[in-house]
Amino acid sequence: MIIALSSPAMKDHAMSTRPLFILVCSHEHEKIQMAAMMAAVAAVSETPVRVFVSMGAIYAFQKDLSDDERYQGGRFSDVLKDKKAPDAMALFEQGKTLGDMTIHACSMALDVLGWQEGDLVADLFDGALGLTKYLSDAEQGQLVTL
Amino acid sequence: MPEKKTIDARGAFCPGPLMELIAMLKLVQIGDDIEVLSTDKGTAMDVPEWVAKVGHEMVGVEDKGDHWSVVVRKAK
Repeated sequence: MIIALSSPAMKDHAMSTRPLFILVCSHEHEKIQMAAMMAAVAAVSETPVRVFVSMGAIYAFQKDLSDDERYQGGRFSDVLKDKKAPDAMALFEQGKTLGDMTIHACSMALDVLGWQEGDLVADLFDGALGLTKYLSDAEQGQLVTL
Repeated sequence: MPEKKTIDARGAFCPGPLMELIAMLKLVQIGDDIEVLSTDKGTAMDVPEWVAKVGHEMVGVEDKGDHWSVVVRKAK
């Protein structure tokens, strides 16, 4: 369906409400951090955000880990920890609380690890999802992969 | 009577000051001002950008030397 947009302002509004899809695959701290920052800021800026966590990134979302266990890898990790940058899991939680954000775990990643949704950080995930469904949904918006 | 609240986010890194501002905006009344004190250089640019996007009102941005003062008025 084609929707006529009558003014630049309306075009800007329509563009700004396209969902942002963030596909997080890397276990590296700096990429988890960037995903969390993008997700939180976009969500509170009235952009719907849809996060999909797969591959090695799923390890960072396991419940009951210390910061050193959760956040590993990437040259920037030590700097982020030393300077006490905002905690990535807390940023995802804030984005969900203050904006329109969902986070889904890759069903394949859970399957190969033998994990259940209960093995993930509590109250953060909206369930497990397959890649096909996620990519189909992502056709409606902008997809960023980290 | 509009009120002014201050968030001291000095020492917090991006996007901490912005997230604190947004959380506070949920709690105050329309017309109230919130001042964010921040040592994060990005805050002085990011907050006005966010305010313009979501429809609140910028009152001002001031360089205080060792930090920035950013004042936002809740408009909706």
